[in-house]
Order: sequence, then structure tokens, then C-alpha cells
Amino acid sequence: MYRHLTMTELLDLRDHEGTQAAERHVETCDGCAAEFERLHQRVAGLRALPALTPPRDRWTDVRETIESGRRRTVWRSTGIAGLAAAAMLALFVGVQSLTVGAIDAEASAQVQLQQLMDESQRLEGLLFAVEQEPRVMSGMTAATIAGLEDRIAMVDEGIAQAAGRSAPVTVEQLWRERVTLMGTLVNTHVRNVAYVGY
Amino acid sequence: MPELALALDELAIRRAKTGDLEALENVYRAYQGAVYTMGRRMCRTPEEAEEVVQETFLEVCRSIKRFRGSAPGSLTAWVKRIAASKALIRIRYQKYRETDELHEDGRGSMGTDVGLSMDLEAALVRLSDTARAVVWLHDVEGYTHEEIAGLMGKTVSFSKSQLSRAHARLRTMLGEEV
Repeated sequence: MYRHLTMTELLDLRDHEGTQAAERHVETCDGCAAEFERLHQRVAGLRALPALTPPRDRWTDVRETIESGRRRTVWRSTGIAGLAAAAMLALFVGVQSLTVGAIDAEASAQVQLQQLMDESQRLEGLLFAVEQEPRVMSGMTAATIAGLEDRIAMVDEGIAQAAGRSAPVTVEQLWRERVTLMGTLVNTHVRNVAYVGY
Repeated sequence: MPELALALDELAIRRAKTGDLEALENVYRAYQGAVYTMGRRMCRTPEEAEEVVQETFLEVCRSIKRFRGSAPGSLTAWVKRIAASKALIRIRYQKYRETDELHEDGRGSMGTDVGLSMDLEAALVRLSDTARAVVWLHDVEGYTHEEIAGLMGKTVSFSKSQLSRAHARLRTMLGEEV
């Protein structure tokens, strides 16, 4: 070989992937041998760079997010039970309204209830979509989300218990509260995505 | 790379796999330094490195039950692989915000580097994001070009040429040219 080795050839040689000609050349060429030695020293220098310590402890944030995810799993399953109970209640209210003859008022209440349930379901869909975005959240956001999820879980529990026993107006109030909380929860997630996305 | 501050035995890993938060915290404590160092060396800012730490450990906590390694060091390799992947995602995201070429030309054009002698750490920072990541993963973390290509979604020759160009630039910046 009558020319100096390129950086690629030197790197291949360092990684034991060099050609025999390159190997022979570096043994006989002082310039390339010196270059090869500098390459080794550079890499040794990189490996010797000091380890760094994170300026802040992020475990609290990680833990909050993990716990929030676990709570979400719990309230989701409670929410499904609540929805099923509410559907039963809607059916019960419908049958009852026919027997007492107050068709108009009951039908109107039923429509309102159905609208709230539809809105809640739509927000569930939005929440699911926004949660698919991988992102990091601050401890404060995670705590807000956890608080909202806890309140939704309580409302769902109320809906489940009220089914067939409470006045329709109570159930409607609970659903209204659920929709409000779900809206706030979705907004909190969306704001966090916007923040992380710069 | 430095030795891990806290050795995790098999029992500790098994506990972490059950989702025990105390055990997961031990995993975090054992690896946070190594992950931060990798993030800091690969990304541009300390803030980005911190994000890499948080994203890595969220992933570790969520996925550790699927971790199947049993050989010594396999947990380290697994955590570091997640960290490398998170750091590369950050770098890719940065590339969408501004082109790599602009960044490289803007912060360390070859013209101003000629004859300039600086320390290795400063020179590393002046490389383009991609080149810096390749240098760190290959020369320090010991990843092969095949592995880097896989992580970056690029070819082996891309990884090799990035490494070659990076070393040529480092040599210039360190004033090592003959």
C-alpha cells in the first residue's frame, strides 16, 4: 500500500476488521502508526471521561407516574361497572316512566342521561388516544391526574350504587359530574402533551 | 464506565419484577448515574439528559416483568439499551426541529476548528448530535455498528461513516493533525 490509511481504514483496523494490507502498512509507516496510536488514545480518553451525577432526583416523578397508571387501571374497571349499571338504570327508568304515564318528562330526562353517557364515552375515547403519546409528566401534573382519577372512581362508585335505587335526577347529577371530571382530565393530559412537545 | 454504585442481586430483581416500588427504586438508584451519563454524553443539554433518565426508568418500571436476562450484567445491558433508545429518540426529535447539518456547521465549522486545541469533552460536544451518539455508543458503550444501525433505523455503512467523520473532526479539534 503506497498511501496513508484513511480514518475508516484505521477504525476498521482498530475493530479487527482491517485488511492484511492495511495491517502491514501500519507496521511500516510511522505516520499511520502514530495516527493509529492517537486513535487509541482518543478512545481511551473518551472512556475515561468522568461519570456524571444527575442534578435532580427524578424517582418521585417516576413513582408518581407509575402509581397514577396503576390507579387508572383500577378506576377504568370500576368505570366499566358503572356504565353497565347506568345502562340497567336507564332501562329501569324507561319501563317505570311508561307505567306512571309521565312519558314526556321521563323521556326528556332519559335523553339527557343518554347524552351525558355519550359525552362520557367520547371523552374516554379522547383520553385513550391522548394516552398513547409517549411522554413525561411533572410530579405536579401526575398528582393532578391522580386526584382527578380518584374523584372519577368515587363518582363511578356512586353511579354503580345508585343504579335502580336513587332518583333519576341523582344519577343524572353523578353523570354530569363524571363528564366534568373527565373533561378536566383530558385537558390536563392534552396540556401536558403540548408542554412536552415544546 | 464506572462501576454501578449498588449491586442488585437476583432476589432484588425478582422483587422489582413483581412491581414492588421499593425494589424498583433500588433499580433506579443503581442505574441513574450510568443512564444520566449516557444521556448527557449523547444529548445536548443536561435537561435532555434528565428527560432521558425519567423516560428510561418509566420504561424500565413498566417492562421489567418482561425482562428475561439471567447472565451477570444483563440487567445493566438491558437498562442501557433502553436509555440509548430514549436518547436517540430525543436526538431524532431535535433533528426535526433543526437540521443536523446546520447544527454542525453553526457550532463548529471546520474553518474555525483548524489548529484549535481543546479538551476531548469540549470537542465531543461540538460534534453533530448523530456523530456524537455514534461515537459514544460504539467507542465507549461497545455497541457494534450493526446494533447502532438497528437502534437508529439506518444502515451499517451510515454508522461507520458517521464514526469515521466524527474521529476526523475530533482529531482536527484536538489539534492532532500532522
